[in-house]
Amino acid sequence: MSGKGSVERELRIAVIDKNPLRAAVLEDGLREARHVSVVRIDDTAGLLDRLRELDPDVILIDLESPSRDVLEQMFEVSRTVARPIAMFVDHSDTAMIEAAIDAGVSAYIVDGLRKERIKAILDTTISRFNAFAKLKDELARTKSQLEDRKIIDRAKALVMRARSVSEDEAYALMRKAAMNENKKIVDIARSIITAAELLR
Amino acid sequence: MTKRLRIGYMPLTDAALLHVAAARGFAAAQGLELDLVRETSWANVRDKLAIGHFDAAHLLAPAAIASAIGIGHMDVPFVAPLALGLNGNAVTVSLPLYEALRKEALGDLADPRITATALARVVAKRRATGQDPLTFGHVFPFSTHHYQLRLWLRAGGIAADEDIRLIVVPPPFMIETLRKGQVDGFCVGAPWSSLAVAAGVGVIVHTGVDLVRNCPEKVLAFRADFAETRAEEVHALATAIHDASLWAADAASKPELVSLLAAVADYGVTTDTIAHILSADVQRTGSPVATMGLRLDPKAIVADGSHALWLYAHMVAAGQASFDPGLADAAVAVYRPDLGPPGGSPADVPETFDSILFSPDDISTYLGKLVSAGRHEPSW
Repeated sequence: MSGKGSVERELRIAVIDKNPLRAAVLEDGLREARHVSVVRIDDTAGLLDRLRELDPDVILIDLESPSRDVLEQMFEVSRTVARPIAMFVDHSDTAMIEAAIDAGVSAYIVDGLRKERIKAILDTTISRFNAFAKLKDELARTKSQLEDRKIIDRAKALVMRARSVSEDEAYALMRKAAMNENKKIVDIARSIITAAELLR
Repeated sequence: MTKRLRIGYMPLTDAALLHVAAARGFAAAQGLELDLVRETSWANVRDKLAIGHFDAAHLLAPAAIASAIGIGHMDVPFVAPLALGLNGNAVTVSLPLYEALRKEALGDLADPRITATALARVVAKRRATGQDPLTFGHVFPFSTHHYQLRLWLRAGGIAADEDIRLIVVPPPFMIETLRKGQVDGFCVGAPWSSLAVAAGVGVIVHTGVDLVRNCPEKVLAFRADFAETRAEEVHALATAIHDASLWAADAASKPELVSLLAAVADYGVTTDTIAHILSADVQRTGSPVATMGLRLDPKAIVADGSHALWLYAHMVAAGQASFDPGLADAAVAVYRPDLGPPGGSPADVPETFDSILFSPDDISTYLGKLVSAGRHEPSW
């Protein structure tokens, strides 16, 4: 395709993330940016060779990946790659490092990229990583709420049987105990189950 | 009032004194509560220390120096009131490579000169038959593991990066890459070599002390500005580590030390493994469980400037830093024993197997000898 010479070369972004779900969320987000190609790679053996083959402009890596140390070798000196690589967020940009580290991601970029393009990519990455973390949190919360529900139901059944009361009355008794002891109702429910098991 | 310090560490046996200081009350006695945070990479430890997520860290001494002298793309001054130990590494090779070394060796395999020459012959044969060069793993560009491999290769006249590829492999991946033949050997800190042997995928050909006696390893690193503004806490933590070291060096503490370190370790590390890692009674090559001579005693944790200089010399020899008296001074300035309690006399300067004596007063002679030692004609 013949442009006017100002068309930007397609940016190659390598994503190293063991979590396929998060990597997919990130890929989707980055693809929306123009002139960008995203490749996901495995974080285990042969990483350096794979990166050399790909020759990415930007490398995004999960902060929990032990392979961060492998990347350090890549940008230690330029002898292993054709072009020098630098961590984008140089130390002067502490706020950006903080944001990236809080989100759980680290970025490495090839020298000479336009700063505003990198910033856009990193912003997308950070917001995607945060969105994913939120999603995971919500999932965990829903799951624990569901489990709490089950525990409370079991305790309720025990109280109903022991005291010969209705379901509503059993729940009211448990709630009152929780308020008196300044505890959560699920904690009271757990004690009831434990006690019932001990006294069986 | 108790001060809380957040400290990053890597799950290696030589994070020992941090665990001891926290678990045995030495930190509490100094009014400190230690929040020990396990990390997955040295790059994480360094970066989180640099931006203040950690107050202190268990950090590779050469990584702290590299950052302080501005090489390796990180330019943050770190300081270390003390080291966290000496020794603890080992060079492990795959079973096929060990077999090949045994066939080529003209003498005792316990002698690194013999094995290095044997390795050179293996390298030459592979080249003659058009096979890929051998690959060795180490843990970080700025690590003694890297420099120990280079020292060993040099003794056989083997050119690192040309005759043999050196790559960084994260310790949790070491055993698997060795099993799959993606590396032919590696130099790694305890307990990983012991685990590779236990997994039946490798043989320890040399322990770190076979190559370098009193080899510097990790330091207790702080950001220089933190050390200045919170000098009391730095002093308190250094004191707690020093007390932990006194306790750890006492023979009576040994059983408790061993079980504490096994308890905080993972990946199936047993008390036996830990006992072997700490044993000074170094067994020779090829034994099923090698002892590593990891030292945690008070002499071994003195942040002695000569150790920093030795590391700097090996950075220069590895082509990572240029030789410049200013950089040498900057490297020495990372070690700040004045920030900690009076530490007494340090351990001797590191001593390499190849009889090239290191003198802190004359690095250039040392470097000249190191480089020319690597240039001799291989004897195949």
